[in-house]
Amino acid sequence: MSKNFFEVKNVDFKVGGKTKVANVSFAIEKEGDVICLLGPSGIGKTTILRTIAGLEKIKKGSIELKGNVLSSEKINLEPEERNISLAFQENSLFPHYTVEKNILLGAEKNKGKKDHQVSLQEIIELLDISLILDKYPHEISAGEAQRASLARSLVTQPDLLLLDEPLSNVDQSFKEEIQEKLKKILKSSKITTIIVTHDSYEAFYLGSKCGIILNQELKQFDDPYNVYHLPNSIEVVNFLNRGTLIHAEVTSPKSLENKDLGTITGNFIKPFPIGSKVKLLVQPEDLHHDDKSNLKFEVVDRKFRGTNFIYTLKTPSNTLIPVFVHSHHIHQHEIDEKFGIKRPIHIDHIVCF
Amino acid sequence: MKFNSWYLSSFLISFVVLIPIITVFSSFFESTSNYYEILKNTFLMEYIFNSIILLISVLALTFVIGTGTAYLVSFYNFPGSNFFKWALILSFAVPPYIYAYSLTAFFENYGTAFTILKNLFGDANYNKNIPKFDGMFGAILSISFSLYAYVYILVRASFLYQSQNLIDLGKNLGFSKFKSFYKIILPAARPAIVAGLSLVAMETLAEFGAVDFFSINTLTTGIYNSWITFDDLAFANRISFFLLLFIFSLFVLENLSRRRAKYHLNSKGGFKQKQKTKLFGKSSFLAFIFCFLIFFMSFLFPLGQMLYWTIKFPENLFDLQIIDLVLNTLYLVVLSSLVLLIFSLISNYGNRVSNNKSLNFLSTISISGYAIPGVILAIAFITFIAWLDDSIIKSLGFASIKKVFIGSILGLVLVYFIRFYSLAFNGIKSGYEKINISVDESAYLLGYSKRKTFMNIHIPFLRNSLLFIIILISLEIIRELPITLILRPFNFETFATTAYISASEDLLEAAAVPSLFLILIASLFIIISSKYILKENNE
Repeated sequence: MSKNFFEVKNVDFKVGGKTKVANVSFAIEKEGDVICLLGPSGIGKTTILRTIAGLEKIKKGSIELKGNVLSSEKINLEPEERNISLAFQENSLFPHYTVEKNILLGAEKNKGKKDHQVSLQEIIELLDISLILDKYPHEISAGEAQRASLARSLVTQPDLLLLDEPLSNVDQSFKEEIQEKLKKILKSSKITTIIVTHDSYEAFYLGSKCGIILNQELKQFDDPYNVYHLPNSIEVVNFLNRGTLIHAEVTSPKSLENKDLGTITGNFIKPFPIGSKVKLLVQPEDLHHDDKSNLKFEVVDRKFRGTNFIYTLKTPSNTLIPVFVHSHHIHQHEIDEKFGIKRPIHIDHIVCF
Repeated sequence: MKFNSWYLSSFLISFVVLIPIITVFSSFFESTSNYYEILKNTFLMEYIFNSIILLISVLALTFVIGTGTAYLVSFYNFPGSNFFKWALILSFAVPPYIYAYSLTAFFENYGTAFTILKNLFGDANYNKNIPKFDGMFGAILSISFSLYAYVYILVRASFLYQSQNLIDLGKNLGFSKFKSFYKIILPAARPAIVAGLSLVAMETLAEFGAVDFFSINTLTTGIYNSWITFDDLAFANRISFFLLLFIFSLFVLENLSRRRAKYHLNSKGGFKQKQKTKLFGKSSFLAFIFCFLIFFMSFLFPLGQMLYWTIKFPENLFDLQIIDLVLNTLYLVVLSSLVLLIFSLISNYGNRVSNNKSLNFLSTISISGYAIPGVILAIAFITFIAWLDDSIIKSLGFASIKKVFIGSILGLVLVYFIRFYSLAFNGIKSGYEKINISVDESAYLLGYSKRKTFMNIHIPFLRNSLLFIIILISLEIIRELPITLILRPFNFETFATTAYISASEDLLEAAAVPSLFLILIASLFIIISSKYILKENNE
């Protein structure tokens, strides 16, 4: 029997007989942990949640919660028999009840089972839905409906909470605030949660672990830091889209050589034999700007991101390299200007494929 | 696959509804009496020719009236436009056969028109100057004025959902009003027009009362005659087979158009509420006159004629067992509505929770009952019961079941159920389409069983739709003629059958009282349902 609080073992997640994600295994060790599943739209993230909730069946592997099998080839607990709550991405509020009544229906489910770690009132306040309590679902915005649906799921105090793109309809300006509040609620209510999102920043902020789903597989399941800095495959790098892969040759156990950047030193995450031709991941933070450096490349693009600029530089061999510069940097570089890179180049974690 | 009780119930309901269709198709190969030979050599071509002439003429007229009035009330403000937008639906209250009685009563020799002229201008031989609207022309007018509302309702709904952006685009391209109408507005409403005309076509081919009254031989009257005169069920079914094939192609066309219509209505993004143009002067007067003429011709005229006769011959009012007729009608309406609603709800929910393709397919075919003329349904039902009784029941040594189903309320309600099943099924289905499937799933996750979800979530939400469906069913049953005529118990009459019997005995004055009651009750239901329609359209 599994010692983990929740575990998915070798499951093929299917919908309508078609496999969406194959042979998936991951676990949530402790009660109260929050994990995130990250992947592009349509990849099967929602199918995973629906299957865990019991709305889809499995024919291979098993899903266990608190040591009990919920789904396997032979066992399939009905959704109403699992104490799992799923907050859908689309508006799933009962259309003929007010928002308040919808939330209270969630509270009814929990009646007599668990003490509320966070009161109903607190949830309503934290999610900022007190003004829409007497409204019907068709009278509120998509973002408000999503928060109301989230509140209904939270008050059920489930053993496992599943959130499908919980903030996809929330205004960008309001998103960070809600993310903070959601994290606070989840932490204080100690509800074990799986969040599905396509927003990597949201996943890195909310989850203690992140799973990356690509090409019908769970490619990586790890701490957010590792997922970002130590991606285990080229697909993950491409999905996170926060770096570029350049050709290089391993010259020693702690260095590589690239024809545009020259020698790069650092610690290899995975050892490669000397002389190996590899693809080196260069992330925007890896290179540093230096006006005095004689290693200069042409600026082809500049993205302003508030706290920083990301310059895209073109090397003589036509490789595009992103470089992060703080936005308070003393001066800015225009497109077509030359941009200096500090030497020697040192990257703490060298990620090669 | 898990066959739950919901799945099985849905399957059984759809199967029962399909029985008449299966019967008609299987009867095609049975031998017929000599009537077939007689008919083939004499009237069959006439039946087909008349049916086609009737169909084409009614389609043309309903298109012009339905689209024209819908365009005026949707795009323009003129005196009475708000009244006409719901009043034009009132024509539904007048079934084609009652319209036919009115038309004849008004224009016949020494009829109402004659009396009016005599009162206005004194004695003279006006009969030769009064046009006669009988025969094919009378049938075309009667059916068109009664059925144009199908086109009107669907096209108006489509016009309502046309965005102002579309109109603005036309202006931007320098189109005149007329060019905007036929280049932009009309093509955008095409699916609704086709859907409306398909319904008109099905009803026209199924029409029995008016064509029978005007003695027009069509395929539908041919079916009725082959059964009632020659007692040849097999041949009745054989004609039904051809008529059904024709109707099914219309049905498929209508269904395809409806699907596209839905696509058009889904244009939420970028939808801009339309601004109605206020008409002044001559154009305002012409718009008013056009709508008023249609309203007058389709509703006020038959109502007035029936009212006039009721007042002129008050003895008919006292001869009629009005309370009995009201109770009989009410009895049929309540019983049929209840049966239809319960089974349509179960079937819809079964389809929803089973999400099974073969069941969906079966349900889609089964709702075609609405496209089958009442005459065919009634005869197919009798054929089926006779076969069941002769081949199975009696051979098993049980007593005959013919009396239980034929000439009984049970049989009548069962055939009503088959005929109007699509009305109830589709009405509930469109209500269900507004409930996202994730609502059900949320309920399950909140610990609701399927039954509790059905009772506590779906039924309360569908309440308004159910009410509207009851009104529509009631309206149909009040107006329904051939099924009631063929399958009703002995001495059990409704307003429709009483009117028909009087008219067929050339006692048009006596037909006026039940017709008047029928129009008034139907109008009441229409006024109530029009409020629902206007609310649905956010008006």
